[in-house]
Amino acid sequence: MNKEPLILLIDDEPQILRALKTILAANHFQIAAAATGEQGIAQAVANPPDVIILDLTLPDLDGIQVCEQIREWSRVPIIVLSVRDNEKDKVAALDKGADDYLTKPFGIEELLARIRVALRHSEQSLGNKKTIINAGSVSIDLARHIVSRNDEEIRLTVTEFKLLAYLAAHPDRVLTHQAILNHVWGFSEQDHVEYLRVYIGQLRKKLEINPDEPQILLTEPGIGYRFKTSE
Amino acid sequence: MPRFLKEKLFPLLYRHTAAIFCVAATTFALKLLEPNLEIQLIALLFLLPVMVSTVLWGLTPGIVAGLLTFLAFNFYFIQPYYTLQVHKTQDLISLTVFLIVAVVMSQLIGRAREGERVARQREWEATCMYELISALSSLQDAASVVQTLASHTLETFNMDHVRVKITHGKGQSALLVDAPAGTLPSGEPAIELPLKTARENEGEILMWRVQAQLSAEESRLLEAYINQGALAVERIRLVKSENKMRVLEESDHLKSSLLNSVSHELRSPLAAIKASVSSLRSGAVDWDTDARQDLLVTIEEETDQLNFLVGNLLDMSRIESGALKPQKSWNAIDEIAKGVIAKMRKQLQEHRLEIHFPANLPLVPTDYVMIGQVFTNLLSNSIKYGPAGTEIILQAAHEKDLVHIQVKNQSPPVAEEHLTRIFEKFYRITEADRVTGTGLGLSICKGIIEAHGGKIWAENQPGYFVFHFTLPVMLDGALPQYPKDPSDE
Repeated sequence: MNKEPLILLIDDEPQILRALKTILAANHFQIAAAATGEQGIAQAVANPPDVIILDLTLPDLDGIQVCEQIREWSRVPIIVLSVRDNEKDKVAALDKGADDYLTKPFGIEELLARIRVALRHSEQSLGNKKTIINAGSVSIDLARHIVSRNDEEIRLTVTEFKLLAYLAAHPDRVLTHQAILNHVWGFSEQDHVEYLRVYIGQLRKKLEINPDEPQILLTEPGIGYRFKTSE
Repeated sequence: MPRFLKEKLFPLLYRHTAAIFCVAATTFALKLLEPNLEIQLIALLFLLPVMVSTVLWGLTPGIVAGLLTFLAFNFYFIQPYYTLQVHKTQDLISLTVFLIVAVVMSQLIGRAREGERVARQREWEATCMYELISALSSLQDAASVVQTLASHTLETFNMDHVRVKITHGKGQSALLVDAPAGTLPSGEPAIELPLKTARENEGEILMWRVQAQLSAEESRLLEAYINQGALAVERIRLVKSENKMRVLEESDHLKSSLLNSVSHELRSPLAAIKASVSSLRSGAVDWDTDARQDLLVTIEEETDQLNFLVGNLLDMSRIESGALKPQKSWNAIDEIAKGVIAKMRKQLQEHRLEIHFPANLPLVPTDYVMIGQVFTNLLSNSIKYGPAGTEIILQAAHEKDLVHIQVKNQSPPVAEEHLTRIFEKFYRITEADRVTGTGLGLSICKGIIEAHGGKIWAENQPGYFVFHFTLPVMLDGALPQYPKDPSDE
């Protein structure tokens, strides 16, 4: 890939736009910017970006609506960037198709890492998916249903594997409690966050070097979980 | 005027008739006994009905009885019988003496009785006043004061209807109370009086009664009633405005302590950031890489501090406005605590941290982020007040239907009188300038824990200062359900 990836910034605050333009350009990205939701959607249609960075508070539409509308026709990764730090908004954005979120103020390293994950993810969904995922010393073979650490197989129950496989299939992305419960236990059980607490606890004991300080299965407070790869 | 007849004329007639009957009965009895009695004794006995009538029925029936006995004595007992003529001089004298004695006696007894009646009336008035005043003095709102005034007036003065209107008070609609409650008066009020105090006219009182005229005693008592009522209404109004003043003063005080605390807390990081940025921008000094790095670290840390402060202020305003609603789900307390500890690793490095969470701690219905905030605030408080190198201990225990969590540090003990007050807003034991912080951290913890249905308190233990908090383990009376996994067995 020799072309610089195009990032569309949808944010109505000029200071943030100015700072992000400067920083992202210095990191070899091309930048397009829009100050309203309508403009942002129009730009995404006219010149499809590789990643969208979206603010939730916009003068015309709500960011969540923008997310929904773009999702009707595009799979482009969307990273939500917002001052709203309540979990309800974050979960709503993620459920409406956002891939990730960051709360303002944020560290630029964090943002760049999330952009890289988003780009990698969209490349993968275009090409063939990886079936072996590595996180630290743990390796998960999704096709053969084998989990191992340092080539030593770890025995998991059916549910534990189903849960781990779902998380690992979406590496470095936040998955909401609802989404995970829905996938692993089915729609009728999607309010039972306690299942997740129990099973994630069990998985951590089996996979993590120190279950008290998890490095692979990370909690996103109030939102869900994130499977962190070694990259 | 049937009522006038009933209340005034009939009793009057009854009293006089009774006096007349009494005289007639005495005359009849004495006539029967006449052969055995001397004339002087008869005259003496004839004074009895006069006395009885005066005592029982009042002054005028007494006088009427006196005149009648005089006539009866003359007619039936003085010769010649059955005429009003008198032949003997002696008889004339005794008749005259009898008349004088009867009239004077009935006058004297009547006056004594009247004096007694006045005294009774006074006593009754005083009792009424006392009852009204003691009823009014315990009341705290205008509506019940007016209600009490109206019902007491209604009862004491036999009114048909009493209506009190309170018109004082800016921007308020007039307060209108009727007694008996829920009824409407008919026709024009018989009596209208203003409710006035020395300072203000508070409103008016309207009364309906068939007998519109008030007696002298009634109007004296009514005036006293109305004065007391007006004073009570005024007292309520003044207390209310004083309370309002106090609330305003308090919120003013809160705002100014918020401003003091916030401006100090916000300016310090801003000053550091400004200084670092302007040094980096100025071309005057050629910064080496290390110094440059130091300045940049300062900027980043101070920015985080500012963000933390703004978060605290927002949390506080949410707690204040009652908008703090925990999004409860089943969480493991140790996971929340350890997540916070991992984030605070850098701040905690000068203390020895010990964690004692039992493995079988139940899941607790909590808002992950809020309880995380509680741990953050309690830990940063422990870091701030516990000297470097001392211990910080986190422990939890399952006790019946709650989980009890303790955060212990080795800061100096806190005086007993401060122990509950440290959870109040802006309350600090030390001077604001000496320790950083907004004075909000612990009050936020209190708000969050209480919103979860738990309790938070602090305690001095030998060698330690301990924060305790509890969280209920049940959500709407239920415990968490655990899933069935066939391969787990």
